[in-house]
Amino acid sequence: MDANMAIFNGLLKGLGVTLQVLIYSVLLALVLSFIIGFMSLSKWRIPRWSATLFIEVFRGTSLLVQLFWLYFSLPILGIRLPAMLVGVLGLGLNYGAYGAVVVRTSIRAVPKGQTEASIALNMSPYRRMRSVILPQAFLIMLPTFSNLTIELLKGTSLISLVTLADLTFQALALRSATMETTQIFIYLLIIYFIIAYPITLGFRWLEKKQSVGRG
Amino acid sequence: MPRTSDASLLNQEPYVKYRNIGMKFGDTEVMKGINFDILSGEKVAMIGPSGSGKTTLARMLMTLEKPTEGTIEIGGKLLWHRRANGKLVDANLKHLRQVRGQIGMVFQQYNLFPHMTILRNVMEAQVHVLGLTKKEAEDRARKILKKVGLEHKCDAYPAQLSGGQQQRVAMARAVVMKPKIMLFDEVTSALDPELVGEVLEVIREIAEEDEMAMLLITHEMAFARDIADRVVFMADGQIIEQGPPEQIFNYPQHQRTKNFLSRFSTEFH
Repeated sequence: MDANMAIFNGLLKGLGVTLQVLIYSVLLALVLSFIIGFMSLSKWRIPRWSATLFIEVFRGTSLLVQLFWLYFSLPILGIRLPAMLVGVLGLGLNYGAYGAVVVRTSIRAVPKGQTEASIALNMSPYRRMRSVILPQAFLIMLPTFSNLTIELLKGTSLISLVTLADLTFQALALRSATMETTQIFIYLLIIYFIIAYPITLGFRWLEKKQSVGRG
Repeated sequence: MPRTSDASLLNQEPYVKYRNIGMKFGDTEVMKGINFDILSGEKVAMIGPSGSGKTTLARMLMTLEKPTEGTIEIGGKLLWHRRANGKLVDANLKHLRQVRGQIGMVFQQYNLFPHMTILRNVMEAQVHVLGLTKKEAEDRARKILKKVGLEHKCDAYPAQLSGGQQQRVAMARAVVMKPKIMLFDEVTSALDPELVGEVLEVIREIAEEDEMAMLLITHEMAFARDIADRVVFMADGQIIEQGPPEQIFNYPQHQRTKNFLSRFSTEFH
């Protein structure tokens, strides 16, 4: 039983780091999704092109390589970032790029008639977006955002490779110390699931709330 | 109902003036050299085959489609352009919003906001465009919803209403903004036949009570004849013929008009 408790306590230490990275990088990804998503819908070329560049770079290269680059290559250029910041930046930028595409396509997916009705009521572009388009686009975004958030959670395991002592890092360390491979990895699976499931439920609740009255 | 007399047709300065309007989609010219007026308070019915340009003319006035040629004036102000140093330049958003505040439109597909209750559909623009308080907007919304017979649906959502009910809400939402001219773009075409009547009845009420001008694009010939001061027949991006309903329906001058109307002839017997 003692060995069990030790394994459990060791994993719990990693849980804190995983949750911290998860929360900060989800927030960063969310903010970036909307900023880059809106830029990609701009009628001006420069924001639109910058958004495309951002999306293609961060979506088109591996997250692991991005993390390595931020952690091991930047210091050669004289920029040394703490491991936690590297984890949050890497995950946030990467999933922000995916999220930006979701925001863009969801806004585009709102039927054209909604824009036309808002123009016929003489709404300003801001009001049209705020009252009419975004609430409808948001509902379209939710299922994909739910997927991305869970993907991101699972992506946090990669930060163990830039020396952050997250869940996976602790599990690997405990494994070489105790050799209780099966037990440790079963705990690990369960803990990830326990984090992921409430996320799914939360998104489902939001979706239900947002779709009140929609046939 | 009172009809605009011929004398006033001649003397009154038109409220809306289309001048030399042309429209190209890519290389295809769908409309050319259209001149067309609407007087203050005048009820104009526009008929003609699909693809004849009726809807495009209305959408140009609602600032949904920009004519590739010509100008539109409304209440003495240019709609799509403004004058700078004696030259015409494209209007900016501020100008567009100033002028299009006079115009309202009801669409074939209703286009209600599906995420808002019926009441909020009718309130939203009053609060955020006209700047009314929530209380004022709600009072006016309830009053107008009562007028279209839907006061009991205030808390329902659009998806819970029939097509006819949705279209009546769409009309309430447009009328509550008090436009000077209202555009109805085939507002009964998407409805089941048994629901057409209730929608036409609301249009008739608005037409009888309200001072605003109306441009009614429709395939309901009997209704057009009944309600309009003037009927305009369009085909192939041209205005072929226009005049009082009696003249257009009983003594059409052009062969195109005769052919088109003959398809509806059973309605008049």
